[in-house]
Amino acid sequence: MTLLEVNHLNVFHGDLQAIFGLAFSVAEREAVALVGANGAGKTTFLRALVGLIDSKQGRVRFDGSDIQDTPAEHIARLGLGMVPEGRMLFDTLTVEENLLMGQVSRRSGAWTLRRVFDLFPALEERRNHLPRQLSGGQQQMVAIGRALMCNPRLLLCDEISLGLAPVMVEQIYGAFEDIRKEGTALVLVEQDVKRAASASDRIYCLLKGRVSLTANAGDVSVTELTQAYFGM
Amino acid sequence: MAWIETLVNGALLGGLYGLLGIGLALVFGVMRLVNIAHGEFMVLAAYLAVILVGLFPQVHPLFVLIPVVIAAFAVGYLYQALIMNRVARAPDPLAPLLLTFGVSIVLRNLMVEVFGADVRGLQLGELSRASIKLFGLSIGVMPLLTLIAAVLLFLLLQWAVKRTVFGRIVRATADRRDIVRLFGVKPDLVYNYVMGLSLALGAIGGVLLAVRSSFTPFSGVERLLIAFEVVVLGGIGSFWGALLGGIVLGMAQLAGLKWDANAGLLYAHLLFFVVLLIRPAGLVASRA
Repeated sequence: MTLLEVNHLNVFHGDLQAIFGLAFSVAEREAVALVGANGAGKTTFLRALVGLIDSKQGRVRFDGSDIQDTPAEHIARLGLGMVPEGRMLFDTLTVEENLLMGQVSRRSGAWTLRRVFDLFPALEERRNHLPRQLSGGQQQMVAIGRALMCNPRLLLCDEISLGLAPVMVEQIYGAFEDIRKEGTALVLVEQDVKRAASASDRIYCLLKGRVSLTANAGDVSVTELTQAYFGM
Repeated sequence: MAWIETLVNGALLGGLYGLLGIGLALVFGVMRLVNIAHGEFMVLAAYLAVILVGLFPQVHPLFVLIPVVIAAFAVGYLYQALIMNRVARAPDPLAPLLLTFGVSIVLRNLMVEVFGADVRGLQLGELSRASIKLFGLSIGVMPLLTLIAAVLLFLLLQWAVKRTVFGRIVRATADRRDIVRLFGVKPDLVYNYVMGLSLALGAIGGVLLAVRSSFTPFSGVERLLIAFEVVVLGGIGSFWGALLGGIVLGMAQLAGLKWDANAGLLYAHLLFFVVLLIRPAGLVASRA
């Protein structure tokens, strides 16, 4: 069954159009990779989906309801979660308080503070630390854990491996297996195409605000993908 | 001995000044907004108290604080919801500042129109004059109660901000007003509550100050100036700094008055100026 369905989506930054007539879908329990060069519109697309960008046209259906005009704070309660680019943690809140902010949306489900600490044991030891006292990878764990605490049905992850040590990326991608076991669907925005493809069922490539390729993650060839990625 | 008494009385007055500043500090800390109309709202609360005392002479004047504080909270909530939230997202930070300035002028003139320009005060009867002997010092009961109330309110506020879910949401909104929306929080609503709380705290300060010194519709500017100096002196964003700032200011004022009876608030302002030169970040350096 389709969980998220996007049709003819246009998104604007003031007078500039960033996304052109985009079609996109995610099925329940599916993991979808969204790749593309810098400036292709990946982050803009995600921010528009969760309602952080208002100037958009088109149709966005999530879990049976139209959400293209729904404000972000209501979308969160419907079960569409996001790990924003750059982590965007609450700097003056401790690790534990950051995680508890996820509970404010009052969605119940498998993810509790206990489960998040089991998934990322490093966070439990540092529960009373401030985000700036953590490594980049641990900060990313807080951002993911905070989003999980909302018990989302679909989790959008924006550039979660950016600037992290390879061993940390390994650890975080390992966690996605546990997250998928709970039935959570994923959208992984990545610049590292191989990494994204190996963790996903399907792949979308974005080029200058348009979908340049969509394929099953297993079928896609490197030449095809390179062409779609760079537009050459 | 007389000097010690003066300084102790200054510290007691400082608790009141801390109360004037804390509401301003709260709003600035959470929404990066300097509410220029804070002083006028304090005076408005004092007028409401005077009216209520007139209407219910059989009730002890201090009990009118309860309805006044509730009303101030409601006024703050509506002030933010109906007026300030319209410009909260303006790209130009000057817009909200100018709007609060405009509101202060409108309020001041409305108060002249409704209440007249006469000097008013709030009489507490015997409580205003009562004093106790402590370690050989003669200390006013009312100023002592005021300081105790101020410290209790500061503790309560500290607890609410640090330990409650509401406080956590307020701090998160202050950190990142966009990102809290991803967790179902409406930033505008948080702002409404914070402004309500700010004016409720301001109302307590405004009413207690009206017991101590008389006021007119034009007194808001003086009150804002004190509140502003308290906040900057203590270190912007620091609650306890505001209380400390208030106490330092109160001591400077009373010591100045004792030395030079015509000085008024001159020495308090001078001290503020000197501290600003030496420690521009305030007495309690706030976190980065």
